[in-house]
Amino acid sequence: MPTKKTTPDMILMIVTFTLLAVGLIMVYSASAVWAEYKFDDSFFFAKRQMLFAGIGVVAMFFIMNVDYWTWKTWAKALLLICFVLLLLVLIPGIGNERNGSRSWIGVGAFSIQPSEFMKLAMIAFLAKFLSERQKMITSFKNGLVPSLSLVFSAFALIMLQPDLGTGTVMVGTCLVMIFISGARISHFIGLGFIGVAGFVGLVLSAPYRIKRITSFLDPWQDPLGTGFQIIQSLLAIGPGGLFGLGLGQSRQKFFYLPEPQTDFIFAILAEELGFIGGSFVLLLFALLLWRGIRIALGAPDLYGSFLAVGIIAMIAIQVMINIGVVTGLMPVTGITLPFLSYGGSSLTLMLMAIGVLLNISRYARY
Amino acid sequence: MRVSNVTVRKRLTIALIAGIFIFFIIDLRLGYVQFFLGNMLTDRAKDSWSRNIPFEPERGEIMDRNGVLLATNVSAPTVYAVPRQIENPAETAEKLAEVLNMPKEKAYKLITKTASSVRIPEGRKISHEKAKEIRALGLKGIYIGEDSKRHYPFGSYLSHVLGFAGADNQGLMGLELYYDKELKGKKGSVKFYADAKGKRMNDMADDYEPPIEGLDLKLTIDTKIQTIVERELDIAQAKYNPDGIIAIAMNPNTGEILAMASRPDFDPANYKNVAPEIYNRNLPVWSTYEPGSTFKIITLAAALEEGKVDLEKEHFHDPGFVKVGGARLRCWKRGGHGSQTFLEVVQNSCNPGFVELGQRLGKEKLFSYIKKFGFGEKTGIDLQGEGTGILFDLDKVGPVEQATTAFGQGVSVTPIQQVAAISAAINGGTLYTPYVAKELIDPRTGKVVMKNSPVAKRKVISEETSKKMRYALESVVAQGTGGKAFVDGYRVGGKTGTAQKAVNGRYLENNHIVSFIGFAPADAPELVVYVGVDNPKGTVQFGGVVSAPIVGSIMGDSLRAMGVKPRKDQLDKKMTYTDPRMIEVPDLVGLSKKELREVFLNFKIDASGEGDIVVKQTPQPGVKLKEGSTIRLYFGNK
Repeated sequence: MPTKKTTPDMILMIVTFTLLAVGLIMVYSASAVWAEYKFDDSFFFAKRQMLFAGIGVVAMFFIMNVDYWTWKTWAKALLLICFVLLLLVLIPGIGNERNGSRSWIGVGAFSIQPSEFMKLAMIAFLAKFLSERQKMITSFKNGLVPSLSLVFSAFALIMLQPDLGTGTVMVGTCLVMIFISGARISHFIGLGFIGVAGFVGLVLSAPYRIKRITSFLDPWQDPLGTGFQIIQSLLAIGPGGLFGLGLGQSRQKFFYLPEPQTDFIFAILAEELGFIGGSFVLLLFALLLWRGIRIALGAPDLYGSFLAVGIIAMIAIQVMINIGVVTGLMPVTGITLPFLSYGGSSLTLMLMAIGVLLNISRYARY
Repeated sequence: MRVSNVTVRKRLTIALIAGIFIFFIIDLRLGYVQFFLGNMLTDRAKDSWSRNIPFEPERGEIMDRNGVLLATNVSAPTVYAVPRQIENPAETAEKLAEVLNMPKEKAYKLITKTASSVRIPEGRKISHEKAKEIRALGLKGIYIGEDSKRHYPFGSYLSHVLGFAGADNQGLMGLELYYDKELKGKKGSVKFYADAKGKRMNDMADDYEPPIEGLDLKLTIDTKIQTIVERELDIAQAKYNPDGIIAIAMNPNTGEILAMASRPDFDPANYKNVAPEIYNRNLPVWSTYEPGSTFKIITLAAALEEGKVDLEKEHFHDPGFVKVGGARLRCWKRGGHGSQTFLEVVQNSCNPGFVELGQRLGKEKLFSYIKKFGFGEKTGIDLQGEGTGILFDLDKVGPVEQATTAFGQGVSVTPIQQVAAISAAINGGTLYTPYVAKELIDPRTGKVVMKNSPVAKRKVISEETSKKMRYALESVVAQGTGGKAFVDGYRVGGKTGTAQKAVNGRYLENNHIVSFIGFAPADAPELVVYVGVDNPKGTVQFGGVVSAPIVGSIMGDSLRAMGVKPRKDQLDKKMTYTDPRMIEVPDLVGLSKKELREVFLNFKIDASGEGDIVVKQTPQPGVKLKEGSTIRLYFGNK
């Protein structure tokens, strides 16, 4: 232990709780109609989200007090467990299929998504790996290739489910971590070329994919198919205007926007609270990013720094993709909005990740 | 201990800036969607939220010039299903199918559709009894709505002119089609906002757009005259069993059609019971055929206008034929009419006489008058399917074509063209566009929205010539071939026509369209009547025999119905031995009994009253009575 513990980053904590509060209100508002219709209880989703938030906050405070070096010790084991789980989930009978993806293990409310855990385990392990071999990362053979092989083998397993959203977030997060650790810019440019080449190859092998990918540019070309969700999302956001229709006044939540409390909760938020509300949420996430990077800068060692970057990059990338999809900037991928979307494992894992960040902040010197 | 690696610190800063920049881009996009796309998206969203319940407008009524309803609406029950409310679709479908006479599979399919409400086609505009039966079944989710259905209270009366409207109250034929836009009105609706499951969202105001009722259409048709015409056609139909009959009655001074009828006709409510050719063709405006002698009116009018003939003073000898360009054109009367004045040529409808008139005019003049009288072009009447007719191409008119055209052969015209042209010949010389619609009236305010006024196309001949035409044609009825159209006191003028029917370029034997066109009173015509009978059976196929009496009956009854005063100074009718002699009652008032005895009277006298002097008599002097009729005289002492 090189240094003494101090108080955690209070701004980070306040921002997190603000997001959590906004999330709880919005989950209730967005889900009430659905919940009433399906379960005769408008609070059905809100009550559950409340419970998840409670568990998540307790877990966050607990982890805030667990020294982050613990994760360095356990990183390898966690990663191995996650790899095993990712293999198990693919086996019919063990993994459950939902919405065409075999992503879940367990029974009912106790189901988990191994890919979600893999994201965190990969961050913990990569932070360890990169901090231990930081000198070698400039080397193509000894630094870049091993880390990327590890990341892409996990990505391949996730894509077998398939879960493009989680996979993309994980790869994006890891690339940011590798970039921060000091990998050569030329290597990144090379990677970029390989990526473009791979993408072109994929499109050439099956031209219908390009249509699927570009349909978000003009969703009205296929309003009942690929464009449906984006259209319904835009029809929510558009009428919101500057101040929104008012809290609880959304119309699109009346069965127009499918499952408005999960991936598309930001659309309902922008409809009810307008540009002001949407920008406020984006500002909160920007504050979160700032505090996360600040913690990474002040972390007492490279491991802490990389771990902090990994966590904040994961959150930021997920926010960017989610809101990008909701506002029609990106094709639909199926990713939750951290702290706001309904969902137990997503919310508790996010809060636990913030717990780790808070713990690092207790050792930080700026 | 701070992270001191320079590269890592630099890159962390880059990541922070990049991240904030991306958030900023996303916020810009949010603003773009909410402000720049906002209006478009709001409109689309409203479209997606709103549900329309249509309100059907009432179709405008059609009435005659006096307000007698000819086409109106009656309510008719229609069956609707609301699939979401049906509890047992299989059972419901079976019961419904039985009453409506439809396959139950089809009923099942309809009532299980994913729609908020479904109209059952077999259940549209059903009888009230059927509706009662369905109500009695008490099926959940099956409703009886009131739909309006077109009703023609007079049945087949005026059917070709009125046409009919279809199941969706859309005009399909006749005036119903021609004035469909005005009659049908505009659909209204209640727009309400609903959630994606079709339930109403209460917090948004409903938009109500009331339906705009169709305009009422007032016709120039006079049911009093139409009734007379329909009656006469029924009688003729029974008497001659012809292939068809056409009748038109028009006001020659305005072009207003007062009656129009044809046989075979149809009942608009059951138009599907007759062949489409029957309801599709309004013969008075659709059919084209050789006019025959009625066309001689045009030749005569042209010759008079051009000063080529003097009716009274000039004489013409008819040997029974005329040689033109090597061809021998015969007169209808074997042996010819001999020597006659040109007035007699008209009265006798003598073909060689008209050939002579045609030659005096020359082909350019003759054809220019034919065109000026409106032949070879549509009259522009506001009815569907008007024919144009065919004239000889002027370049191809040789002496023979010129000669036959002069007496009405080798041209093809429509009945309505003839009516319009003859009206022009006798009304003072102005050609009018015939029309049927008089006014469009807003049913709520009673205000006249559109009014058709007479359209004078052009002046064809002078008032002077027209006067001569009236005289000549009156003499045709009084002393010539049109004698059977004579109506005592009403000064009927007219012309017979016997047109040969050509099929594949050859004339049919013993198959003619016999026609008569008449007008009255000859001093100031108020009515033109055309009757054409296609191939009458069991009679001489001659217009003077078949059609003239029909026109006479129509003319007499109609003029009385119109309140036209009888005239005194009519041309006397030339007697044929079959006609009873009509004698004018003399003025006997003021005569003493002694003086009375000196007056030669062919009447019986019914005397009453004390005294020696006649103080009152019925009928009034001037009235014509059959020989041997009784007149009443009242005597007094001055």
